[in-house]
Amino acid sequence: MMKQFGNLFLLSTRGIKQFLFSSLIASFSIAMAGGLFLSTWKIKEGAQKSFKLSSSGFDAVLGARGSKLQLILNAIFHLEDSPGNLDWEQYELIKSTPGVKEAYPLAVGDNYMGFRIVGTLPSLITEHEWREDTRYELNSGGRVFSELNKEAVVGSFVSSRLGLKVGDTFHPYHGLTFNESSKHDDIYVVVGILSPTGTPADKVIWVPIKGIQHMDGHASEYANSISAVLLKIKGIAAGMELSMKYNRQGNQATLAWPIAPTLASFFKRLVWFEEILKAIAYLIALMSSLIILATLRNSMNERKREFAILRCLGAGRSFVTQVVLGQSLIIALVGALGSFLIYFLTSSLASYFLRNETGVMLEPFTFDLNSWYVFLSIVFLGLVSGIPPAISAYRVDISKNLQHTT
Amino acid sequence: MTLLRVNQLKKSFSSPEGESIKVVDVDKFSLDLSEFCGMRGESGSGKTTFLHLLAGILSPDDGLIELEGQNTVDLNSADKDSLRAGTIGYVFQSFNLLQGFSCIENLKLAMSFGSNYDESYAEGLLEKVGLAHRLSYKPSQLSIGQQQRVALARALVNKPKLVLADEPTGNLDSKNANNAINLLCELCQETDTALLVVSHDERVVSNFERQIDWNEINNPDSEK
Repeated sequence: MMKQFGNLFLLSTRGIKQFLFSSLIASFSIAMAGGLFLSTWKIKEGAQKSFKLSSSGFDAVLGARGSKLQLILNAIFHLEDSPGNLDWEQYELIKSTPGVKEAYPLAVGDNYMGFRIVGTLPSLITEHEWREDTRYELNSGGRVFSELNKEAVVGSFVSSRLGLKVGDTFHPYHGLTFNESSKHDDIYVVVGILSPTGTPADKVIWVPIKGIQHMDGHASEYANSISAVLLKIKGIAAGMELSMKYNRQGNQATLAWPIAPTLASFFKRLVWFEEILKAIAYLIALMSSLIILATLRNSMNERKREFAILRCLGAGRSFVTQVVLGQSLIIALVGALGSFLIYFLTSSLASYFLRNETGVMLEPFTFDLNSWYVFLSIVFLGLVSGIPPAISAYRVDISKNLQHTT
Repeated sequence: MTLLRVNQLKKSFSSPEGESIKVVDVDKFSLDLSEFCGMRGESGSGKTTFLHLLAGILSPDDGLIELEGQNTVDLNSADKDSLRAGTIGYVFQSFNLLQGFSCIENLKLAMSFGSNYDESYAEGLLEKVGLAHRLSYKPSQLSIGQQQRVALARALVNKPKLVLADEPTGNLDSKNANNAINLLCELCQETDTALLVVSHDERVVSNFERQIDWNEINNPDSEK
């Protein structure tokens, strides 16, 4: 039995070796199809999960009247522009509202070398739990900024990118994109570096909110305004009550609550792109199964004689059939492994860009049940493509293919 | 004691025009255990078809083939495969070695379809045919004479009861042809294997005590 299996493997691999180039092309196209499929599916799933986990422990965002999604992207993910400003009094008001557990004002509008400078209270760093039972930590030798000084705590990603360390100084630049001509005169001193969190907090420079409000060159009305308030709310009932108060009855501010469904709507916008990629993956899958079919058919034309000899030596019909199926199985297995390799490459790239753009760390790949399904589907596709040539191996006419009749 | 018995064996093929052409019509033929027989006949006269019928590669239209007392005509495909693997060895004019495989792999593959897998026996056989130093050589790396010796060893590797040799010297020069026939006879003698050699070459057939003229036993033009 083991001998037969060994022979099957030997004959299948020799078949592949004999038609190495076309077999590799077939495996590569399978890898491309599987890799593309896995990438569109898993990266989207991973990004969605990571974005949800990266809400940094907040339940809601209060901001100027406008889009909830824009508020969330701006205040939590530090993306896009702020929809407008709120008065400091509105922060004071919501902070003291029953049902609000934590409230942190944010002020944005400046950057350093393209990284956003976000003004807030030191308590956001010292008291807020960005993940259950986890507060922000500072690398050794650092401390949180003082509320009244021109001091900064730098996110780990910014620190590694710009080489900023404790004791370094920098001039903020006006606006959210870096422009050399819009340098502020203020000088900030780095007093701490945040330990990595894998959340958007890693890619900003945190400074006291008063620093942004009173930055040299900012209009005087900035002194009393904030961009948003990050909130932690005591339960769903409180959230509903606040939502009703701000979104239905009020007309000055918008409360983005809850965060997850709003973020989901963001991902829904990308569905069309995902569908196109999926359609391409299916097309490549079809192409690759046709390539396997063509490869095996071509090899069959030359291997008919070999199979006739084997049959003459006593090999059964099922044996030669299995040799061809074995060949397609090996091509498919190599392709399936290649798909995961391609997926790793694309997800590393996606992870790099996502982290660069948002600070969000993509969830690391885990080989779950769904991955098995994809793996088995690819192998199944390869096997199915091998069926027509396997049938022709089954039917091989021994006498005709042994030539030399006398 | 009779090993092989053929009775009223008939085989026809269809021509491209759809006409039925009778190729084999053998009334009687038999071969005893361990017996050697040389059969002479012209090229294209149906000898290969006859051997293919004996080996179960082709099915006859009519007639009986009995090997060791068993009618092989009625065997199913799988049983015919087992028969070829264990009881019949086949030598081809063009050797039909598996090109991608070494000498020893050619023998081991053939052996794996039989019931007694013994690598040392396969190596011993190659040593006997003078190829102990060429075990891992591919057929393309061997001379024609050496390739034929591998083919002979492969035909005998499963210790068959009967070896069918179809123009075994057709691709060899006269010196190599003589050596190949002698070697084949020697190997069959050692294992008490019956041997049926078909050839158009009188010099080959004359090596055998029992000689048959294919045209005398095959009458495809008869009306029966």
